[in-house]
Amino acid sequence: MILFRTVTKIYHSSRKPIVALQDVSFQVQKGEFVSIAGTSGAGKTTLIRLLIGEEKPTRGEVFFERKSIHRNQKDLQKLRRKIGVVHQDYKLLSLKTVAENVAYVMQVIGASDRDIQRDVPQILDIVGLTERAANFPEELSGGEKQRLAIARALCHRPEVIVADEPTGNLDLYNTFEIVNLFKKIHRLGTTIILATHNKEVIIGLDRRVITLEEGKLIRDDPQGKFIL
Amino acid sequence: MFTSLKRIFKFGWQGFLRHKGLSSQVIFIMTVAVLVVISLFLFQGLSEFLIAEAQKKVDISVYFKKDTSENNILEVKQGLYKFSTAIEDIRYVSRVQAQEIFLQKHQDDPLYLQALEEVGENPFLASLNIRTKDPVFYAQISDYLVEGPFKNLVEKVSYYQNRKVIVRLFSIINNVKTAGIILSLILGILVILITFNTVKLTIFTSKDEISTMRLVGATNWFIRGPFLVQSIIYGILAVGIASLIFFASLNFLNSRLQTWLLDFNFLTFFQENFLSLLLIQFVFALGLGITSFLLAVRKYLKV
Repeated sequence: MILFRTVTKIYHSSRKPIVALQDVSFQVQKGEFVSIAGTSGAGKTTLIRLLIGEEKPTRGEVFFERKSIHRNQKDLQKLRRKIGVVHQDYKLLSLKTVAENVAYVMQVIGASDRDIQRDVPQILDIVGLTERAANFPEELSGGEKQRLAIARALCHRPEVIVADEPTGNLDLYNTFEIVNLFKKIHRLGTTIILATHNKEVIIGLDRRVITLEEGKLIRDDPQGKFIL
Repeated sequence: MFTSLKRIFKFGWQGFLRHKGLSSQVIFIMTVAVLVVISLFLFQGLSEFLIAEAQKKVDISVYFKKDTSENNILEVKQGLYKFSTAIEDIRYVSRVQAQEIFLQKHQDDPLYLQALEEVGENPFLASLNIRTKDPVFYAQISDYLVEGPFKNLVEKVSYYQNRKVIVRLFSIINNVKTAGIILSLILGILVILITFNTVKLTIFTSKDEISTMRLVGATNWFIRGPFLVQSIIYGILAVGIASLIFFASLNFLNSRLQTWLLDFNFLTFFQENFLSLLLIQFVFALGLGITSFLLAVRKYLKV
């Protein structure tokens, strides 16, 4: 489903080039739950940004369903409709309520008003935010904000959910709530790619782990632990 | 497709409402620019009217020597018709008629009447008043009368005084037009700069929405569309406000202006040309709005 083929990403700064990823290759099959582990600066975010087409690789190629992500702008737009993205800093629309945040994404992707009315309550129910539908993001706790971000990523029924440090700002209780939510979404058939530096999360998941260190892929364990 | 279009308009309208302060600045400056354009259009109508009025008042008067017979003068009249097809009308004024006209004109002015009495005989000369279809032919006709076959009958030819008035009028009108065009250009640049900055600020304040749209795979036009809608709303409102201001002002001032401007009716001119004027305003305002949108989006909205 997803293929990284000898991908290198170099950022050119005024002092010296920064190698964020170096010759990274791996595949993710449909329905997998994969954690990308590594310390800060290991290249996790770069890898995610390459996957969602926000960055272009310096060398190598990234494929989604056998199509190169970076070759065609129109393909990229179609591809992004199949990927749901969750960020550490939530990226919520502060002037819209919880329900409007979810509805907005559905409006953007062209869902009909009837579908929006039907699906928004269902999605909020999945992430446990039904009671908060009329609240604004700033009235939510960190865990609730992240659940809303997941709801937004879910609402266009993506084939893959990519989460970049989704528990980075959360306490232990909320962290495990979010991880459980990802497990629940995964059970419903969605592929999950979760980038995190949180040891407990990776150990708790007990799934495939790809470990990055200084931009290089150093381990790919089918049921790995956090080993660094 | 229809749903997307509807939402582009909806998001554009929301963006417009959300940035009321910025929007009103753009609408204000755009309205001023549109007002200048309307004024130029009305001024064009007024100047054409004034020139036509002034041209009606220009003619050549050729005065004949005292002893020239009426037959000779009528011969000159026929000769002139043969000389130029541009002649619209030639009116013969005999010496007696000239005196009658003078007496009628100055009937309440004893000084003139007394002076005429002292002269004793009729001092007026017979004349032909010639009007052409276009003032450019006057010089040619004047030369023909002064140097042509009838030169021995002619005492004097007079048209230069009126011609000076026309030339002066043309010059004033052209200067005002040039000033108006320069003012519109300056205002146009101002409108583009202000609208450009407004769209830029709107893009910055909408960065979360833009980022969300990009992440879920919205098309480029779905992301850019609302900003275009916003620019179009600015243009439409500016045209509407400017037209209302003009219509109201003309309703109020028209009768006064009419007395000053040789009966030129601004309100009727405005109403008769309303559709073409509206079109000019829309082309101008939307042109400025869309240009600013394109510049700002190209520079600041990476999709």
